[in-house]
Amino acid sequence: MAYSELVKNFNRIRDYMREFYIYGFKSREEYTRKSARSYDDERRRIESWLGDYMGFRQNAGGKNVFISIDSRVASHNPLYKAWKTKSFTDGDITLHFILMDIFASAQRALSLTEITEQIDEYLSVFPEPKTFDVSTVRKKLNEYISEGIVLGEKQGKSMYYSWTMEKCDLDRDILDFFSEIAPCGVIGSFLLDQVKEQDSHFSFKHHYITSAMDSEILCSVFMAIREKRSVILETYNRHKEHVSESHVVPLRVMVSAQSGRQYLMAYAPRFRRILSFRTDHIASVKIGEVSERFDQMRQKLDEMQKHMWGVSTQNRWGNRMEHVEFTIRYGAGEKHIPKRLEREKRCGTVVHLDENTSRFTADVYDASELIPWIRTFICRITEIHISNEKLEEQFLEDIKVMYALYGLEDGENHDIQ
Amino acid sequence: MVKIMIFSELYSTYYQTVAAILKAAIDHPVEATEMRHIVEEHAFGESMLHILPAIEEQRWQLITPDGKTPLQKEPSMPLTLLEKRWLKAIAHDPRIRLFGDEIFDFPDVEPLFLPEDILVFDHYADGDDYTDEAYIHHFRLILDAIKHQYPLKITLQNRRENPLVMSVLPHRLEYSEKDDKFRLIGSSDRYGSTINLWRIISCEKCQDSIKGKLTKKTERQRRVVFELVDQRKTLERVLLHFAHYEKEAEKLDEKHYRITVVYDKDDETEMVIRILSFGPMIKVTAPQHFVELIKQRLIHQKSCGL
Repeated sequence: MAYSELVKNFNRIRDYMREFYIYGFKSREEYTRKSARSYDDERRRIESWLGDYMGFRQNAGGKNVFISIDSRVASHNPLYKAWKTKSFTDGDITLHFILMDIFASAQRALSLTEITEQIDEYLSVFPEPKTFDVSTVRKKLNEYISEGIVLGEKQGKSMYYSWTMEKCDLDRDILDFFSEIAPCGVIGSFLLDQVKEQDSHFSFKHHYITSAMDSEILCSVFMAIREKRSVILETYNRHKEHVSESHVVPLRVMVSAQSGRQYLMAYAPRFRRILSFRTDHIASVKIGEVSERFDQMRQKLDEMQKHMWGVSTQNRWGNRMEHVEFTIRYGAGEKHIPKRLEREKRCGTVVHLDENTSRFTADVYDASELIPWIRTFICRITEIHISNEKLEEQFLEDIKVMYALYGLEDGENHDIQ
Repeated sequence: MVKIMIFSELYSTYYQTVAAILKAAIDHPVEATEMRHIVEEHAFGESMLHILPAIEEQRWQLITPDGKTPLQKEPSMPLTLLEKRWLKAIAHDPRIRLFGDEIFDFPDVEPLFLPEDILVFDHYADGDDYTDEAYIHHFRLILDAIKHQYPLKITLQNRRENPLVMSVLPHRLEYSEKDDKFRLIGSSDRYGSTINLWRIISCEKCQDSIKGKLTKKTERQRRVVFELVDQRKTLERVLLHFAHYEKEAEKLDEKHYRITVVYDKDDETEMVIRILSFGPMIKVTAPQHFVELIKQRLIHQKSCGL
C-alpha cells in the first residue's frame, strides 16, 4: 500500500513515539528486527508531524532518531498531534462536510431519503459526481449518533435526523490550561483546534507529556469506572514480548507528578487483591459487565491508601506491613528542611525532636517505595530503621557504594559497575 | 455500552485543514496557492503531498475545479459526546473557579471522570488554596493583565514574612503539578521576576512603566552529564523521571549509558536531590562543580555516622 501520513491503528505509532521520546538512542537496526519498512514509514510520519522536535545523531552504531521537547517551553503538548492523524476514506471526508452543511442549513429534522437527495444535489456540481447509496449514508449517520453530533428520532416508521448544535462559548484559557493538566487532555486540544487562536498565557513546570500516548486507554478506563463496569485488560510485559489478559474491576487512576507515570488501581478477582497496572503497559481495554463489587473495593482502596507510599499494595517479601523511620538533622538556617518532610510526606507522621532534629515514621505495604525519597535527604540522615532488614542493609550498602563512586571511600574513585 | 474513540478522523488535522480551505472557498474562489498556504499553516510537513492532489483530482468532492464549493455555510461541527463529557469532568475541578464564576454545564451527559476517580499521589501537601476568594481575585486580575499587557502593583509576603511592594509586567502564569502551585513570571525593575501567587497579599492595576526584561532561556540553562548502568530498570526509570527536560541519551556499551540533561540554573538544588534519589545507580561525570555538589552532600552524610 502507498505510504500515507495518516494511520489506521494508533498502537504501533504509540510504541515508536515512546521509544523516540523516552529513549532516543536506538539505531535503526535495533528497531528493524521485525520490519525495516515499518520503521522507515513510522519514522517518516513522526518526522512529518513533529519536525521541529525531531533530532538525529550519527554514531558508530548507526543513525539514532530522538524527540527532544523541553516541556517548560512548549505551552501545548506536541505529542497530541499523533492523535490527529487517523486515516479515513475519500467518501468519509466528502460525506462529513456535506452532511454538516446540510444540517447547518436545515430548519427541521430530515429523513434519510431527503438527506441522500440533498447529497446528490451538492455533488452534482462536479464533472464526475460521486454517489452515496442510502445504506452508506445511514451507516454514517448512525456513527454520528454514537459520537453525539447527530440526533436520530423515530417518527412513525421513519427516522428523522438533525444535529445537536448547542451554544457553548469555550474559553481559550480554560482549554489551554486543562488540556495540559487534566487527564485525557488531548480532548481539550481537539477543542482548542476549533476556537480562535491566541498565544497561551500558561507554561508548565515539572510537566510530563508522555502520558498523552495513553489517552485512549485512560478514556476507556474512566468510562468503565463511571459505570462501575469490569474490564479485560490486555497488558504487555516489560520487554513487550508477551501480551496477557487480566479480568479486573477498575477503581481509580493514580498519577505520579514526579515521574509522569500513570497507574490503574484495579481489583483482580482471580488474585483477590487490588493491584496496580501501568497504563503504558496496557495494550487495550475491553469494557465488560457492571460489577457488584465496585463500591466495596473502592472503599477498601480508600482504606489501603493510608498505608501506600506509591501504588504498591504488597512487598516482595510477603510482609503484611513494613515499618520505616528515619531521623534527620539540620542547622538553624535550614528551617525549610523539616518543612520538606511535612509537605513531601504522603502518609506517616513527622515528629520534631528538638530545634535541629526531626523524625519521620510510617507503616506501609512496601517500604522500598520510600527509598528514593529518603535518599533526597542524604547529607543529614542520622538514623534509619526499616523493619525489612534486607531493605535497610541495601540502603546502607548503597550509601557506601555512593561514597566509593565519588572517591570518598578508601581514597579511590570507583566507576559504576 | 457504546465505546467512543479518541482516535477518530473527526478530530484530525486533515479535517481541520480542509475546514479552513472550505471557509475560504465560501468567501471567494480559492486558488492552489492559497490552498497551499492554508495546508502549510494548519497541517503537517508532508501534508501538501496528500491534501492538494486529493482535492485537485476530486477524490474529495468539496472544491470544484474553479475553486468554489457547493457548501453553503462555514464548516462547523457540534461538540461530540466525548468533548462534552471531558468538559463536564473539568468543570468539577476546583481550579476551574480561577477562570470565572459561570461554568458550562451539559445536563444531558455524564462527566468522563470525577475528582474521586483520580489521585495525584505524590504532589506536595502545601499546594495553593483554589477556593480562597482573595487568591481567585489575584489570579483573575493577573490573567487579565497578561492578556492586555498592563503592569500590576503587587504587595507580597517575602521569605522573611515581611511585606514587599513591587511593580510587575506579567508575562505568563506557570503551573507546577508537583508543587500544585501557580507562579507569575513577569518583568520588574528591581526584584526577581517570579512570584508565587500564594505569597500575594494584594494586587492592583498601576500605571508604572517597567523596563526590566525577562532573562533569556539560554542565559539560565545549565547541563549535567551522568552515566548509569542499566540494572533494576534504572534506564527506564531515569529516562522517564527526566523526560520533561531537554535531554540526550547515548548508549556506551551493552549496559552503560550517558545522559545529558539541560536544566534551569534556579533549579540546581532540585536537580541535585533528584539525582541523589537514584542512589548508586547513576554517577555524575560533568560539570565538575555539579560533581562537587554531590560530593559535598556525601561528605556531610558520612559525618552523620551512616
